[in-house]
Amino acid sequence: MLQTVVLGGMEFSPLVIYIPIAFILSALTRFALHRLDWHDRIWKVAWFEVSLFVCYFALTVYLLSGR
Amino acid sequence: MTKYLRILFTVVVVIMAVVAGRWVWTDYMHTPWTRDGRVRADIVTVAADVSGWVTTLNVKDGQLVKKGQLLFSVDNKRYQAALDKSKANTEGALLAWELAKHKYNRREALNNQKAISEEGLELTRINRNIAKANYDLAKTEQALAQLNLDRTEVVAPVSGQIINLNLRQGNYIGQGVSVFAIVKSDSFYVTGYFEETKVPLIYENQAAKIALLSGGEQLTGHVVSVGKAIANTNTQSNNQLLPQVQQTFNWVRLSQRIPVDIQLDTLPKGIQLSAGMTVSIHLATD
Repeated sequence: MLQTVVLGGMEFSPLVIYIPIAFILSALTRFALHRLDWHDRIWKVAWFEVSLFVCYFALTVYLLSGR
Repeated sequence: MTKYLRILFTVVVVIMAVVAGRWVWTDYMHTPWTRDGRVRADIVTVAADVSGWVTTLNVKDGQLVKKGQLLFSVDNKRYQAALDKSKANTEGALLAWELAKHKYNRREALNNQKAISEEGLELTRINRNIAKANYDLAKTEQALAQLNLDRTEVVAPVSGQIINLNLRQGNYIGQGVSVFAIVKSDSFYVTGYFEETKVPLIYENQAAKIALLSGGEQLTGHVVSVGKAIANTNTQSNNQLLPQVQQTFNWVRLSQRIPVDIQLDTLPKGIQLSAGMTVSIHLATD
């Protein structure tokens, strides 16, 4: 699957793709929570969002790197 | 109750993040993988065993050749003359030996009749043996001359593809000087340069997944060997034979890279491999 990212002959770690994907997913979740007004159902919103970013990041690595 | 559910939900997500984060850390830091891999192949350099002008060149750059196929010929006139000379020498030595044998046999009969001295007989016996040794020497020189003549025709030592052919008809080539290389067919393998911290996780016959930088289907292989030595710059000496010790930072050290050879399993059809290509390698973990 995605092992390396090649841009103009330069090889980059696929993290340059994984991290933005995880960030976008986190932002979408935050937007959805805001629209649904579910923020008050979460105890510590900052902890939750950081944790969710880590989970999304791990999921992206697992799915896209062909483990 | 709702308050506890709120706390529980958040704590569960945090625990999931810790587990997921730990998995990512382990995957990147403690599993044997590297992006520093190269495709390699057995390269056989071709050199003439005799020197002279190239009279015929039968191959082109990039051409596929079979083992034993004639690649080029070196001017053989000198070597043919040397062989003819050796043949004449051998013939002369053979005749000299026969003459010496004849003399000895005759003197042996005379000695039986007590017509010549023991010393005379011994002298002809030694002369016969010298002639025999000279004949053997001449035969060996003839074989050497024949070998030199045969070696004016340079044949492919292996089947494969010719690389970097700059030789042209009419060039003068020296004995033992490589003139081009052949990439041996089906000899591709991969060498991964793994950080030394990951070497304990690598073992022989470990399965490997190999991804080419050019993309396409992943290749599979298995570990053949882990390199047992790499160069140590601290062991070099200057012109006074003093060790040239490199300075290092105490806090930041770079791990060395150890070469690990990986044999490729069956290659996908139509794949274009060239020695020197970059690959990423993931080794299987138990």
